[in-house]
Amino acid sequence: MIFENIKLAFSAIRANKMRSFLTMLGMIIGISSVIAIVSLGDTMRSMFAKEYENVGVGLAYVYIITEDGYYTENEMFTQEDVERLKEAMGDDLTYVGFETGERTDLQAGRKKEKVIISGLAENPTELKDPKIVYGRMLNDRDIQGKRNYAVLDKETALNLFGVENAVGKTVKTTINQESTELMVVGVYENTDSALMRMLGGSGPKSVYVPESIMISADSSNWTINFCMNTEGDMNKTLERVKAFVARMKNHDLSEIRSESAMEEMGMMDSMLGSLSMVVGAIAAISLLVGGIGIMNIMLVSVTERTREIGIRKALGAQTKDILIQFLIEAAAISAAGGAIGTALGISIVTIGGAVVGITAVVKPAVVAVAVIFSAVVGLGFGLYPARKAAKKDPVEALRYE
Amino acid sequence: MKEIIKIEHLHKTYDTGAVQVHALRDVNLTITEGEYVAIMGQSGSGKSTLMNILGCMDRRFEGTYLLDGISIEEQGENELSRIRNKKIGFVFQAFQLIPRTSALKNVEIPMIYAGMKGEKRRKKAEALLEKVGLGERIHHMPNELSGGQKQRVAIARALANDPAILLADEPTGNLDTKASHEIMEFFTKLNEEGATVIVVTHEEDIAQYTKRIVRFQDGQIISDTKVVKEG
Repeated sequence: MIFENIKLAFSAIRANKMRSFLTMLGMIIGISSVIAIVSLGDTMRSMFAKEYENVGVGLAYVYIITEDGYYTENEMFTQEDVERLKEAMGDDLTYVGFETGERTDLQAGRKKEKVIISGLAENPTELKDPKIVYGRMLNDRDIQGKRNYAVLDKETALNLFGVENAVGKTVKTTINQESTELMVVGVYENTDSALMRMLGGSGPKSVYVPESIMISADSSNWTINFCMNTEGDMNKTLERVKAFVARMKNHDLSEIRSESAMEEMGMMDSMLGSLSMVVGAIAAISLLVGGIGIMNIMLVSVTERTREIGIRKALGAQTKDILIQFLIEAAAISAAGGAIGTALGISIVTIGGAVVGITAVVKPAVVAVAVIFSAVVGLGFGLYPARKAAKKDPVEALRYE
Repeated sequence: MKEIIKIEHLHKTYDTGAVQVHALRDVNLTITEGEYVAIMGQSGSGKSTLMNILGCMDRRFEGTYLLDGISIEEQGENELSRIRNKKIGFVFQAFQLIPRTSALKNVEIPMIYAGMKGEKRRKKAEALLEKVGLGERIHHMPNELSGGQKQRVAIARALANDPAILLADEPTGNLDTKASHEIMEFFTKLNEEGATVIVVTHEEDIAQYTKRIVRFQDGQIISDTKVVKEG
């Protein structure tokens, strides 16, 4: 009986191809936009997650808040503090050092390039791990030996020296108001991700030098940068660092603050998640509109087929047979629209992703929810017309012109 | 002989708001198995109302109606659907075939609602269409058939579930004279094979095909006579 009804529903849909298609269009647009938007959100989230992986999920820094925003010696960290923290935390921190970044110029002959000079402490690759194309990355001996070495990016090297392979050449720069000569030991290739390119992030390039040549033994800083071991429980590590800093600097734990990539990533992820949910919900309104379209056309169809309903009832159809017939018809239109919409939505995201060069993420759960929702919409909005059909009086219906 | 239809003290009133119209007044009618009856009357005489009640499509009446031993006034809506499906074969004036649906599918409909399985149903529908002389046209759509052919499809459909009665409401009303006589001859043949046939009509020559004529006027039976065949 159900099988007969399904066959009947599809033959009714075929009998009015154009009308059925236009009715489906509402569902197609609704479902495809929901899938496209939610998948776009998911794609952004996965891209941000990858971005943080590139930078390092374990990165964090700690600082002491002051009431007035001015830092006295008591709230600043010294080299000695860095060493104590490193010792206390052992393997849980893979990198500990000051944040040292300075905007300056590099000069070679008459050519100048604006760069950010960034100092790296021991285990430099824990903090920055660029893709070296010539020479090598800085190592611990460079840092311990306070060698005036630098690692440039490929473009800067090309601009300054006319060749990419600048290993062995020297550049002039100013660090801490002092003129310094640096020898290039490595050239790296900028591997900004699609996301960073999209965000237009191509400011001055980074030049890496040993931290030790940028700071003196007695210099201090208001933050300590560190990188947590991602194999451990990073939340616990972060708490332990804060507790240690509080004891070491004789401050209340509540005055110790930290920022970490991990927390930032979580925030970004939940922000993007809720954003795509909200936009998805707005798109879902179009599903509602699609549903109303189905209801409208089903009402027309029921009126048009009044006589058919009368004939069927005269020949022995029960109320439930007519109800099921029209319900299945509505659900079939809706589900077919849902299926086409799903295919369309996935292709939009996939093709769009391919055009901008990112891998689209389409979660099966999103597709499942969209399709189930469309069938529910069909059944929900089909119910009223179907009941109207089922309740028709056979005598009246047979006489309908 | 077994009584197929037994109606006693049947009243039917249409309440149109301002006035009450008495469509049927104290109708008593008994039809036994194998009879061939014409119900005659001018429009407004109550014959269509009686037809709807006989066909179990209208249950809102006073009095008693026994159809093949079942008292119709006690049945619910779903039971009435089942009774229409199993006990009654309808033939309508306007054919009432479902459009864009082949002759075969149209004949299958009552069997679908009776829950008959696909292959068996198809075979029976083919046999019935063969019987009404449309074996060559089983896949034709209603709009590809002439009036007489449509009515024959309708008769095949009416016979689908081997009903207790064949109920024909002005079966020749939309047909030309030649087709009309073909259809009536077919009813006669079915009656000779044992079917109980009731034909509602207002045409005297159509009624003459039957064996008994019940005449209606103003909602009452005014005569009930046997037809005397000449020759």
